[in-house]
Amino acid sequence: MFRTKITAAALLGASFLVSPAVAQELRFTVWTGNDAHLSMLNSIGDSFKASHPDVTVTFETIPAGDYIQKLTFQLAGGTPPDLGWMFENSMPTFVKAGVLDELTPTLAATDGYDLEDFSKPAMALWSKDDAVYGVPFSTSPFMMFFNKDMFDAAGLEDPLTLADKGEWDMAKFREVSAALAAANEGKWGFEFKDGQGYDSRIMHAIMPPIRVYGGNAFAGGECGFEKPEAVAAVTQLHEMIFKDGSIVPPGEQGDFFSGSSAMTINQISRASKMPDAGFNWGIAPLPTGPAGASPVIGQAGLVVFSKSKNPELAKEFIAHMTNAENVAVMAQFFPPARKSVLDSEAFTNANALIPAAQMANVKAAISDGQVLPSHERTPQIEAAMKPRFDALWKADANVEEALKAVCAAIQSEL
Amino acid sequence: MTPSEKTATMAHATRVPWLTLRRKEAFEAWLFVSPTLIGFIIFFLGPLIAVGLYSLTEWNLLSQESTFVGVENFRDALTVNPDFWLVVRNSALFALGLVPMNMALALTLALALSRPFFGVVFFRTIFFAPVITSAVAWAIVWKFLLQGEAGAVNQLLASIGIDGPNWLREPDWAMFAVIVTRVIKMVGLNMILYIAALQAIPRDYEQAAQLEGASRWQIFHMVIWPLLAPTTLIIMVITTIGSFKVFDHIYLMTGGGPENGTLVLAYYIYQQGFEFFNVGYASALAIIMFVIVLALTIVQLILRQKGSG
Repeated sequence: MFRTKITAAALLGASFLVSPAVAQELRFTVWTGNDAHLSMLNSIGDSFKASHPDVTVTFETIPAGDYIQKLTFQLAGGTPPDLGWMFENSMPTFVKAGVLDELTPTLAATDGYDLEDFSKPAMALWSKDDAVYGVPFSTSPFMMFFNKDMFDAAGLEDPLTLADKGEWDMAKFREVSAALAAANEGKWGFEFKDGQGYDSRIMHAIMPPIRVYGGNAFAGGECGFEKPEAVAAVTQLHEMIFKDGSIVPPGEQGDFFSGSSAMTINQISRASKMPDAGFNWGIAPLPTGPAGASPVIGQAGLVVFSKSKNPELAKEFIAHMTNAENVAVMAQFFPPARKSVLDSEAFTNANALIPAAQMANVKAAISDGQVLPSHERTPQIEAAMKPRFDALWKADANVEEALKAVCAAIQSEL
Repeated sequence: MTPSEKTATMAHATRVPWLTLRRKEAFEAWLFVSPTLIGFIIFFLGPLIAVGLYSLTEWNLLSQESTFVGVENFRDALTVNPDFWLVVRNSALFALGLVPMNMALALTLALALSRPFFGVVFFRTIFFAPVITSAVAWAIVWKFLLQGEAGAVNQLLASIGIDGPNWLREPDWAMFAVIVTRVIKMVGLNMILYIAALQAIPRDYEQAAQLEGASRWQIFHMVIWPLLAPTTLIIMVITTIGSFKVFDHIYLMTGGGPENGTLVLAYYIYQQGFEFFNVGYASALAIIMFVIVLALTIVQLILRQKGSG
């Protein structure tokens, strides 16, 4: 009897020794609430169990409009997530604040990860002094969406055809916009991204033209808005709004997706809205300018927060989520920055709504594109710029003087 | 029982119990007020003291770096930052536009709707409905209605030959538009307060004045208006405080623009605290706003006391 008890106690003790490790949870914040996105993310979370059977990844949605604020409250309030998505324009601020962990050692130590597969331009925003603080999971170019029916009705060649012929430039863009506005009373030729070009999307509105004219916004602490190239680009937009009446003016709503404008600039994720639009459509590259082509990309990345309870585990999950296999899975929604995935035939056929020929333009734009300018003090710069741009978007404004005022307002922040 | 034991027993018998009726009542009173008091301390007094302490620091919410800077935030706001006085001016303009407009309209509606007539409940409901409508929905709908040429308001004006402005893109018109839409939204609340006050005035006073041959204007001016004074003071105080705290309308309709024309104090505090993460500076601005509103309230109370004296 005594021997039996001893044996039972020994077995019980041994069972504790060999029992599985304590279950761990990674809290991952995202700004998507889309069921298809979350389903895909959960499948990647589940696949992590193959190497980390005791780890559960929980994806927590915070709406995009509140994302940075709520994230900041969580970090400040002592309830930080372990890892999360990060906007491109917030990245420099977060790196400067020292609230992100460096990922380089973990990525370098992960078998078969191949960090070099991400191009240097794609990683520029996510690294500082050779230290990687984030990995882009979405590198989405801005493309010209067009309403093919409106072009056909006006007897005009659409942007895709013009691009194929090498005639899709800023002059042609102005010409067809004016023709479309004239042919459709009460409608416009072009709408800025999401109709927010005079408010939260100022940079999305002005930077593509400024770059193809050979200008920039700010670089190396110097403001570029008052340079002749930027003035020429913004002057063209100003004249299209107030002389030609071909761009939706400030204070009006001319939604492309409901057919009120013939063209708009947006990312390919917006193609998901097109099946409900009720008209034929297509996407084309952005028009070229005096300085040639200059595609613009928008990025979002993955980061680990320094206050995470499981920072090493979180970094391992980022390595898992951004390996070649999972980047290929995510490419159905989020265009990849990995060259090997971008070059694959699977990517060209990844989007059911966009034909392979048009996806080739997307791929080219990703390869050559640049992100919008970012800065550690982006919120302050944007707040300082806004009232000066308000003064610019008036019919009688002097564009050159208004842009000088923009530079004067932001110079101290640069 | 020895004499000493007897003395001790008597002393024990005459000792006053600790829990006297007075103490018991006081304890019960504290017990009754404690739910409110605890809530007041946790959710109002505590944060107020904390904001006061934060205002003396340069504290970045994101990096959590905090440095004691004394009154530097106040000095910067009051003497260095040019935006601060613009923001105070905008807040004052907003209050000066909103308070009289709101009170005049509320009193007019109350005078029209305080007496019973067929359909009075319907009209009261119509004018009160915006108060309980979602501020977000209200602002978005008005933003849509106030578009440039395509907006319903300008279409309506065009039908009678008036070329309306681009309401939310011109600084002066944007402030006017925000004030008017705010007044329409909130006037129902003050209307109800005035209706209650009007219904509390005995009809005898009015009838006596009528018998004395007073005109309708004289009855209003010399009888009703003075009797409404306490209500008017309360309405003026709460409307003024509310106008300085306005945030949602500005955030949703103009974002402080155009050209900072509607950048008011509450929105500026939000911008400093939650967009720039300068919690110390935002706290200093909040203290300044608290002092401004407190000063205005005290001035109104003093004026009221002088008026009644």
